[in-house]
Amino acid sequence: MERKFYRWMLVPAFLFLTAFIYYPVLRGSVMAFQNYNLFDLNQLRFNGFDNFKAVLSDPHIRFAQILFNTAIWLFGSLFFQFVLGFGLALLLKKPFAGRGLYTAFVFYGWALSGFAIGLTWAWLFNGQFGLVNDMLIRIGLLSEPIGFLSNPNLAMISVIIPNIWYGVPFFGIMLLAALQSVPNELYEAATLDGAGSIRKFTSVTVPYVKPTIVSTILLRTMWIVNFPDIIYAMTNGGPVNRTNILATQMINKVFKEYDYGQGSAIGLIIMILLFAYAMLYLRMTEKKGGDTL
Amino acid sequence: MKKHMVYSIGRFILLTLYVLAAVFPLYWIIITSLKGPKEIYTMPLQYLPTTATLDSYRKLFSFSSFSLYFRNSLLVAFLSSLLAMAVSILSGFSLSRYPKQRTKGILQLALYFTQTIPTFLIMVPIFTMFSKLGWVDSTGALMLVYVATVIAFSTIMSKGFFDRIPVSLEEAAKIDGCSMFQSLLYVVLPITRPGMAAIFCFAFINIWNELFLAVMLLMSNDKMTVPVALNSFISKAGISWDVMSAGIVIALLPTMIVFGFGQKYIVAGLTEGSVKG
Amino acid sequence: MKHPMTILLVLCTLLLVLSPAFAAGTKEEASGPVTLTFVETMTSPSRTAQIQELIAKYEAQNPNVKINLVSPPYEQADNKLTLMLNSNQELDIIEVRDHTVKQFVNNNKLVDLTDYLKTWDQGDDLLPLTMTAATTVNNTPYLLPQFFFVKGLFVRTDILAKHGFTTMPKTIEELYKMSIAITGKAANQYGFGFRGKGSAFKISDILILSDVDNINVDNIYKTTDGSFAFSSPAARKAVAAYVDLYKKAVPSDGINWGFNEQVNGFISGTTPFLVQDPDTVSMVAEALDPSQWTVIPMPVGASGKTYLDYGFAGLGIPSTSKHKDLAWDFISFMVNAENNADFCRAYGPLPVHTSTYANDPYFSSGVYKSWEIEMSNPATYVFVKYPLDNPKYPAWAQVQEQTMQSLLLGSTTVDQAIKSWEDYWK
Repeated sequence: MERKFYRWMLVPAFLFLTAFIYYPVLRGSVMAFQNYNLFDLNQLRFNGFDNFKAVLSDPHIRFAQILFNTAIWLFGSLFFQFVLGFGLALLLKKPFAGRGLYTAFVFYGWALSGFAIGLTWAWLFNGQFGLVNDMLIRIGLLSEPIGFLSNPNLAMISVIIPNIWYGVPFFGIMLLAALQSVPNELYEAATLDGAGSIRKFTSVTVPYVKPTIVSTILLRTMWIVNFPDIIYAMTNGGPVNRTNILATQMINKVFKEYDYGQGSAIGLIIMILLFAYAMLYLRMTEKKGGDTL
Repeated sequence: MKKHMVYSIGRFILLTLYVLAAVFPLYWIIITSLKGPKEIYTMPLQYLPTTATLDSYRKLFSFSSFSLYFRNSLLVAFLSSLLAMAVSILSGFSLSRYPKQRTKGILQLALYFTQTIPTFLIMVPIFTMFSKLGWVDSTGALMLVYVATVIAFSTIMSKGFFDRIPVSLEEAAKIDGCSMFQSLLYVVLPITRPGMAAIFCFAFINIWNELFLAVMLLMSNDKMTVPVALNSFISKAGISWDVMSAGIVIALLPTMIVFGFGQKYIVAGLTEGSVKG
Repeated sequence: MKHPMTILLVLCTLLLVLSPAFAAGTKEEASGPVTLTFVETMTSPSRTAQIQELIAKYEAQNPNVKINLVSPPYEQADNKLTLMLNSNQELDIIEVRDHTVKQFVNNNKLVDLTDYLKTWDQGDDLLPLTMTAATTVNNTPYLLPQFFFVKGLFVRTDILAKHGFTTMPKTIEELYKMSIAITGKAANQYGFGFRGKGSAFKISDILILSDVDNINVDNIYKTTDGSFAFSSPAARKAVAAYVDLYKKAVPSDGINWGFNEQVNGFISGTTPFLVQDPDTVSMVAEALDPSQWTVIPMPVGASGKTYLDYGFAGLGIPSTSKHKDLAWDFISFMVNAENNADFCRAYGPLPVHTSTYANDPYFSSGVYKSWEIEMSNPATYVFVKYPLDNPKYPAWAQVQEQTMQSLLLGSTTVDQAIKSWEDYWK
């Protein structure tokens, strides 16, 4: 009886998902196996794995470089988003005067749209008229401006920075909530046992917050990989393909080259990689039964 | 006591540093919106506008019907988030209490799976589907799609909130004679109200800023949403930074407000479910 | 409130169930005014406002017609239009661009306008170039061009004067020399408004290939004897000179400059030379005083000529339109000499009627004089075409950007870059 009730309750959500997500994904995936190029749709036919082969072996836009970029983008952003988010959450955990204001200012970045952030930071990092260069020169750290977005070695870092700025709020909020949900009794008990702050952190805080950390990181991973807006607005994948990630190359194929076949192929590759990663990740972090956020 | 003082000062310094780093992009946008078009591109950089003017804002509202787009976005984001919240109450609760572990696991996997999907992959199929149904250029249809895009995460969040509420509460209610649905409605839900507010906020912010689906699925100019309007300030001849910066500032306001309210609830919502009896 | 949550849930379910009802897009009634749907793709807020003015004018003259203007944002517009056409949306007038016309014709989406043009009284007034552009694909007019985008050289005369230059560069070599001479890194002064990303080849091709004498006008990348344009010795030298320009007259950041940074550089004075289309005029005019800048015709290359690509956009009728004749009526209204001139005056690019250049002083004076010179001296300013019907064309931009950026950064040599381009176009 109960199970029936629960099943009915799931119907609305999964109805939405099936109609607008699962079904379109299937249709979209089919395009990956067709020579779906808007330039000429008269010769539409299935072309097996040709799109995948084309993407993987493109001599000008090297796939290996794109994968590498995606990895750096992901782990670079994730690491700092997490560390800073956690740090901020720890700082904001205990109430103090003006906490509300600080929280608002520190976390507002997330309320902006990705492309607005990209455009703004492109300007801030500009080699000639950018705020960052100007300030660094005024402080005296630099003698002449740096081309943040045009130097192949600096470009990736320069696009990761706004991404960190954008992603910290999410981690911060989630971790703040998790930290505040640790029951005080546990801390009191630990103090009675003679534990110092560090010990309390490692044996009380971290284990309690771990499930939240685990799920938040997984979600952020998927979101970061599928987030081309900032890079697209700042460098469009350049210079020399050094900030091109899977998602931005997908945009290029779809919007600039009208090649939906190859674009969808890249989309499938993204999905497969993320899914495999998620499986591995979950196995490694050994989720027991129900997970908590 | 001294330790506390050191800690407080340390915290103050660290937070202030971070706030400065976090706020300066917004500062730049705000002052750009207050400069006139001649001042925006001057060198050396002007950190303060020499003559602050509201011209850009005037241009924004008179020139490009921005207030109409603003209202459209408000309607779309608000209703979609409300619907998403309501649906996720059902699905989250169900998933949280679901008896069979294996199915539960599979369902959760299905939800996480949706997060791996790039929007561009489903853009064209959705458009084709809608054009066959005659749903192109429909605000209602766009809202349905938006609900679908946020429902997975909303359900995951919702499940998290319900997980923190002990089943004993519902059981007690059942003993008192409530049906399953009633116990959800009158016993469990009131406790998770902050959590629901949190879901609403997440959904609202995501939907408010969504660009590509809105561009593809809407047609009439008077149905445009805010991100689409902002994006239309990029033309072949460049970016009109005067109206763009004014637009970004105005677009930020609702999300900041929702976020401001939401913060409290998100944090409260995630903490409140813990066992206190 | 007895059951607040229940009410909420019921409301939401109702919403869910009912939304398809108000989801249906705007459908016209059987009687009443005819509605034509007009999709523009080169959207910009000021241009949309002007189009709406023209629409209002037309609707006043034709009270039984309503025009519904759809203006997707510029960056996604062409893509969206393609999707709409391919799913057979009911559209009546669409903006067709030089790089989308072939694609639309391939997919049988455009109506042949030959008969309409024949019976149009203003057909003879169109520039020869207009007809050439109109018949780009299969020698058949599938669109009626509305304007041309032709590059001109924007110059900050005040910055030039500050550095002691009072004459304008006539050749590309002079332009390079001036740019390099003006550059003083310490003062954050550079010479040339470089374009590093986003169809950068449109600018670099002019500067490089204008040194080659015998470019084929039907395909800028080939010479009249069939060989690859960049392989000629003159082109090789020109590519090297271009790289040299980057190293000596452009900030290193220039490799990442798009149109926005180019204009930014020009307005702020950091780079006094800017190669751009006429629609940039209004942006620049808004930010600078007339005494500070001007536009001169593109300097010529070592061949004594400049090869200019004539970008264009115009209006076409989708084959699925149910009101083709009415659509043509509106198109011929939009593109008649008077409205075309008004529109171009406000929006910037070059109009398409011979009479406009003859009668309208705006287009033959001031900064527009330079474009007039370019349009009326075909021996010096040679109009060439890009291989738009080659299926390799859409992907070319990204490939060229990669190799050119590599070249500019020094990770590849001129010969290697030219070879990879040659291999691409084989």
